[in-house]
Amino acid sequence: MSLIGDTMRVAMSDLYYLKRNLPILMATSIVTPVLYLVAFGYGLGKDITMEGVSYMAFMIPGVVALTTVTSSFTTVANKLMVQKRFYESFDEMLLCPISKTSLILGKSILGILKSMMCGLLMLLIGYFLSDDLQITPMLILCMILSCMVFSMLGVAAGMIVPDLPRMNLFNSFVILPMTFLCGTMFSLDALPEVAKNIIGALPLSQTSACLRAAALRWDFPWVSLCILIGYGLLFYGLCLFSLRKTN
Amino acid sequence: MPFIIDAEGIVVRFGDFAAVNGIDVKVQEGVIYGFLGPNGAGKTTTVKVLTTMMKPTEGRLSVGGYSTAEEPRKARDLIGVVQQHIALDKDISVRENIICRAMLHKIPKKEIEPRLMELADMIGLTPYLDKLVGNLSGGWKRKVAILCALMHEPKILFLDEPTAGLDTQSRHMLWDMIRQMNKRGTTVFVTTHYMDEAESLCDVVSIIDKGMIKESGTPKELCARIGQWTVEYDSEEGKRRYRFFSDWYDAQAFVSQVSERDPATRKTHLEDVFLEETGRDNMKVTEKRLRV
Repeated sequence: MSLIGDTMRVAMSDLYYLKRNLPILMATSIVTPVLYLVAFGYGLGKDITMEGVSYMAFMIPGVVALTTVTSSFTTVANKLMVQKRFYESFDEMLLCPISKTSLILGKSILGILKSMMCGLLMLLIGYFLSDDLQITPMLILCMILSCMVFSMLGVAAGMIVPDLPRMNLFNSFVILPMTFLCGTMFSLDALPEVAKNIIGALPLSQTSACLRAAALRWDFPWVSLCILIGYGLLFYGLCLFSLRKTN
Repeated sequence: MPFIIDAEGIVVRFGDFAAVNGIDVKVQEGVIYGFLGPNGAGKTTTVKVLTTMMKPTEGRLSVGGYSTAEEPRKARDLIGVVQQHIALDKDISVRENIICRAMLHKIPKKEIEPRLMELADMIGLTPYLDKLVGNLSGGWKRKVAILCALMHEPKILFLDEPTAGLDTQSRHMLWDMIRQMNKRGTTVFVTTHYMDEAESLCDVVSIIDKGMIKESGTPKELCARIGQWTVEYDSEEGKRRYRFFSDWYDAQAFVSQVSERDPATRKTHLEDVFLEETGRDNMKVTEKRLRV
């Protein structure tokens, strides 16, 4: 109870921020994925089928995955960077009687909530665009898990990355390539074996595999789910380490 | 009488450089304690150590009777900190900032609003409660930061250069607020490089320079130590010179010796003590330090 209570205490300022800026934050987060759906889904892939389903049905879970991942990561990392480097309000939190786990989870809440809202909106749009797509409890659970994992990565990046130019560098060389390459818009089978194995091990590839299987009622990749949980624990450990170092 | 802040032999090193070099800080409960020093003297580093934000390389520290090495959490509960840089979320309102800080200190929900209103009324912040912090002027932001630090009713309030960059009105407004807090029983530890501020506000002051405490005492005691009368006059090179005297008649005798050099007699100020201890020519001091 104390963990949940303390987590919400930490999240409070971010929730006020979300409440004040919700329409703007949502609009900016869904413009890119909607454009992907229009350009690739309608423009290029209208008559293509992939792994037995229409390209649109194949693509929508991938686009939902990339929406949740980029939205959760960038929201949390940028907000924490601002609070830590510019407002310095994060340092004040370290003086309060709050556990490190609550701090990490609390700082992830903004990313989880915002990216879930964006992801669900994209899912709703996708539901009307493709008959093959099904919204299942497993799909929602996988979305929540991926939002948690990448929000945690956002917290770790916000703690570790020293300035905005380096954060942009991380975005450009890690997050952006992942959004395109990790099976979001095409099947990893199309890649050479080595690239397939490397890219297939990345967390967004696991997210795409889980969301696609849950949405299209394919055999569920339980191994991918376990790997995703493993990434979550790894990112949590990274947050804990950087927080201890800061303290 | 035990000290509410009791630090002995505090050393903070960054590599080979000692930012704080073996200082003792002893603060009695209920006083306004001024910590004075030029830029880069070690004031902020000392505050970070005293508020448990930074571990000292060497030394022993207790706050409110709790050792910060053994019981940091208990020590932290007793203190409120207003950092030199105003640490507020600028994109939410004043009220939201204050509520968030109160919640982080686990103040029961039903107590937050009455306490917020009481403190806001006291310092005239009520009309600004629903404004975005980012839209306020520096003085009001500083007031909000102080109010946030007071929400959990700390026994000790640390203010790191609270009036830096503020206009005269805002500075006086903050001084009044600090006095009010002190009257309510809060011990105040304030760092500043404004001597008029320290002289007007503080019961006890310490002067730190190059990481070491040079002098400690009440402003009156410190002035008396170098001589309560100051004679200033022009040197042959045209620079203003200062001589200090304990006795007014001695000062007048000296004035008659330098009567052709535009002499003036006045009471010694804390600023004179500060400049005697830290050097009148700050550029020379900085150059010397850089050479070292």
